[in-house]
Amino acid sequence: MSNIQAEKLTKTYGAGSTKITALDHVNITIKEGEFVAIMGPSGCGKSTLLHLLGGLDKPSEGHVLIGGHNLTDLNDDKLTELRRRKIGFIFQFFNLIPVLSAVENAALPVTLDGVKPAEANSKATEWLTRFGLSDRLMNRPDQLSGGQQQRVAIARALVADPELILADEPTGNLDTRSSDEIASLLRDVSKQYGRTIVMVTHDPRIAAYANRIIFLKDGKVVDETLLEKKNGKNAEDVMEKMKQLGD
Amino acid sequence: MNIELTLAYRYLGGRKLRTFLTTLAVVFGVLVIFGMNIILPTMIESLQANVQGASGLVDFSATHISGEPFSISVADQLKNADGVRAYSPSLTRVVNIPADFYDDDSNQPDKVTALSLVGVIPEAARSVRAYPLVEGRYLEDADTNAVIISRTLADSLNAHLGGTIRIPSVDGTTELTIVGILPARTSPGNEEILVNLPTAQTITNQSGKVNTIDIVIETFASEERRNEIQTNIQNAFGKNYAVGTQISADTQMFASLQLGQAMMNLFGVFALFMGGFIIFNTFRTIVAERRRDIGMLRALGANRKTIIGIILAEGLFQGILGTGLGIFFGYFMGAGIVKAMRPMMTQFLNLQIGEPVISPTLVIVSIALGVGVTVAAGLFPALSASRVTPLEALRPSANEKLFEGRAGWGAVGGAVIIILTLLAIFSGRAEFIMPGGFFFLLGLVLITPILVRPLALLFGKILALFYARRGISDLAQGNLTRQPSRAAVTASTTMLALTVIIAIGGMISSLTFTLYDLIRANLGSDYLFIPPSIALWSSNVGANKDFAEQLKNIDGVDEVSALRYSSAVSNGQLISLLSMDPVAFPRVSALFFQTNIFADEVSAYASLDEGRNMIVNGALLAALKKNVGDTVNIVTPDGSFDYRIVAVATDMLNAKVTTGYISHDNMKKDFGVQDDVFIQLNLKKDANRQAADAAIRALSANYPTFKVISGVEYYNTMKSQLDATFSALYILFFVLAIPSLIAMINTLTIGVIERTREIGMIRAVGGTRKQIRAMIVSEALLLSAIGTAFGIFGGLYLGYVIVIALESIFPLGFVFPTAGILIGIAIGLIFGIFAAFIPARQASRMNVVDALRYE
Repeated sequence: MSNIQAEKLTKTYGAGSTKITALDHVNITIKEGEFVAIMGPSGCGKSTLLHLLGGLDKPSEGHVLIGGHNLTDLNDDKLTELRRRKIGFIFQFFNLIPVLSAVENAALPVTLDGVKPAEANSKATEWLTRFGLSDRLMNRPDQLSGGQQQRVAIARALVADPELILADEPTGNLDTRSSDEIASLLRDVSKQYGRTIVMVTHDPRIAAYANRIIFLKDGKVVDETLLEKKNGKNAEDVMEKMKQLGD
Repeated sequence: MNIELTLAYRYLGGRKLRTFLTTLAVVFGVLVIFGMNIILPTMIESLQANVQGASGLVDFSATHISGEPFSISVADQLKNADGVRAYSPSLTRVVNIPADFYDDDSNQPDKVTALSLVGVIPEAARSVRAYPLVEGRYLEDADTNAVIISRTLADSLNAHLGGTIRIPSVDGTTELTIVGILPARTSPGNEEILVNLPTAQTITNQSGKVNTIDIVIETFASEERRNEIQTNIQNAFGKNYAVGTQISADTQMFASLQLGQAMMNLFGVFALFMGGFIIFNTFRTIVAERRRDIGMLRALGANRKTIIGIILAEGLFQGILGTGLGIFFGYFMGAGIVKAMRPMMTQFLNLQIGEPVISPTLVIVSIALGVGVTVAAGLFPALSASRVTPLEALRPSANEKLFEGRAGWGAVGGAVIIILTLLAIFSGRAEFIMPGGFFFLLGLVLITPILVRPLALLFGKILALFYARRGISDLAQGNLTRQPSRAAVTASTTMLALTVIIAIGGMISSLTFTLYDLIRANLGSDYLFIPPSIALWSSNVGANKDFAEQLKNIDGVDEVSALRYSSAVSNGQLISLLSMDPVAFPRVSALFFQTNIFADEVSAYASLDEGRNMIVNGALLAALKKNVGDTVNIVTPDGSFDYRIVAVATDMLNAKVTTGYISHDNMKKDFGVQDDVFIQLNLKKDANRQAADAAIRALSANYPTFKVISGVEYYNTMKSQLDATFSALYILFFVLAIPSLIAMINTLTIGVIERTREIGMIRAVGGTRKQIRAMIVSEALLLSAIGTAFGIFGGLYLGYVIVIALESIFPLGFVFPTAGILIGIAIGLIFGIFAAFIPARQASRMNVVDALRYE
């Protein structure tokens, strides 16, 4: 998979006087292996952009190109297949299946793809072990802490070896320490395994772990900032930028 | 295990209570269908065993289509029939043995309750089958009152060669001398006793008559040749004779059993339908509850098929488990009922019931219904789950609008259906009213979703007056109406259950209104002389007319009326004919008239003696598809006769059997029957009752076939039996209402799970445990109130439909079922409170912090 491109991406809800434009002709390009954070105030269209990039939603106008595929041209089955094989998702509320163990949850995308359970579980175990969960493999979600659950979710996002990982407020439901751990983990994944990561967050501290930040306001891209490599220690710069944009 | 099965299995295990409750619904439906369908085949097999025992192993048996005896000369038709090797005409008849006839001990169960009396021409009988005697000799032409019995019968009666046995006869009793003993009997069915034809004819008052011709054909005939010979025999006898390998089971009995089984099947299908409703509702809520999971799976790349697969796999698991358990428990229920029925069937119908019979078809049908209904009920929610886009599922609020649109159209359709079915009632035409019962309920189900909100508001206000004050009732009402479709499906389940209870209440109110009058008028004579089997007249040996004559001559007796019986065929339909003395009958008994071409009942009775006139009951009129005034052709062994229907009337004992009433004169002339099977007697007002009673009982001792009982006693027995039946019906339908309780518990529990955070919030801002409990109980009460309200309407309509349907058989008018409605409301309220118990406990015991964190 090469670059990800969004061209004139627009999403509107409702019609007439109740029409709301969530995204307004957004053009962005994300390079392979890049870790990008999308920031902006509530309702600015961050999550909408992420959903459109992941093929979870259809744009009202414009299109998304992933690995040369125009997502708008794909039918439901093809989109489903693309999501299963090429994209990994991480959600704010982890969204683990409560009745499955950590390893089964992490193995889910490959299991859904028809890989034999033993093979799927071994792949999942590999990722979970890398994330320090080797002693929690058989635990159910309700037996894990928030940070552990999110690590399972990240393992799940990586198990099918996708080239793009979309994370929607992955630390929104975690305490500061766990949030840092997760953000750091995502950065490592991008760096060590060359995965492209697009993360939506409203937390400047977390956004600071990315290589680049795209700022959205009222459905439009208002700024893009390439961060210096300060190992996540440039949160103040991000906050400063946000202040400027807010004004 | 693939992911669909793994998830289905884990989800089911994760919600054990819900899985248990929904599976219970399937178990219940299958249990009823499977259990009840064991009973009829078991009884049929027992009946056939009895009949087969009589027919033996000859090639063919010929009988008249009416089953009645015919002239022995009919057998001569076979003299030149091609392929017939030998034949034997016989008079074969089941003779019911009255209770304690042989042992005279009411504490001991009777070993012999019926015998098959076979009257044969000795040599002819030997030409068609072998009689390997173990003791004594075979019958000779010159024998009178000689009998051959089996070793088993001899042992059970403690009889021996040269000794005698008594059997009931039209003259009271006949004593037969045992001249030969056959080997011990191994096949099931009644014991056969073999006598000379004239002896059998005397015992049953059928002089010169036989009723069966056993035939053996040339040996080693191919299948084709066999069929050819059967055709030859059929042609020799003509179309009014049945030539077959087996005599059919007693059709009268069979019809009654089939009716019972049809009712139970209806009950089972209804139970399963309710089960399906619950499963449908559960799966809908499951889909709603797991929206986020489904969305996540879709986002991770699960396609629609996978989502459908997961939901259907859950249905399949529950269907298989529920059906398996249903069959298991159903077997025990069916076998238990068969066991419980054994003494009763022996006592009243003289039928020996064997072991429970399970046909492979029953197993297949039960599995297909149980698993099929469960999977079908899950299909719609599964499809709707698969249509959910990943995004919609991750944002659950996006779906509410969809429902509103669908409910609106459904309500319009429902309203139109309800209006049409109400118009059907006003049309007064049964063909519109009957299907209206189903459509009215359908209309109610469709209109419920849109009425949930206003009704919840209305009942919520009422509830707030005496329970759940301080806004709790408002909360409950708001919670309920948040998911109107779920509430509607649950309310509909309650509605269906209560509809049935109230409808049955309506039927019982209407029946009791007329039934007890009918019993009093019909069977309220001073004395009744009842044969061993009151439903199956054909197996009773009656009494010759001397008995009634002698009764009439007893001092103090005012009037004696007897009924005589013959079966006949009309329009291809097997019917029962009862004859009466048109003068004596109305003086001791009465028919219940529905239609009459004469101005009064007296003229209708009198007309029976004027030519071939007949009064028919509703069941016969419906079966013959005729009207009053029409003529019907009745086929008898002596020819066919045209009878005119002069009135429609019914009596208590034959209400459900297709019966016609004619005069004794016509019965004798056209059917050759003169023996009485049922007698009623009235004393004079000034009679010395004690003396008369003694004389009546002394005389009756000579005719042990009949049990003498006073009218009052019989009325009381019948009344208590009917009361018990009605109570059993109520209990049965109460049981049917249980699935609706399961549905309510399900809906409330799911509501509690969904609102965990809200409940936590209410507790956090100061709501007490008691208030939380009150909120859930209020929700349950509102839900049951809505279901009950609709149930009352549905029940009234369905009750009316049942009464209209019964009217064709039985004369009765619709009576408003006040008792049924009160019972329905009570059940609704009790269920409401009961259903809230588990969820209310669950909600009130929640840890506030955990609840607030719940996702």
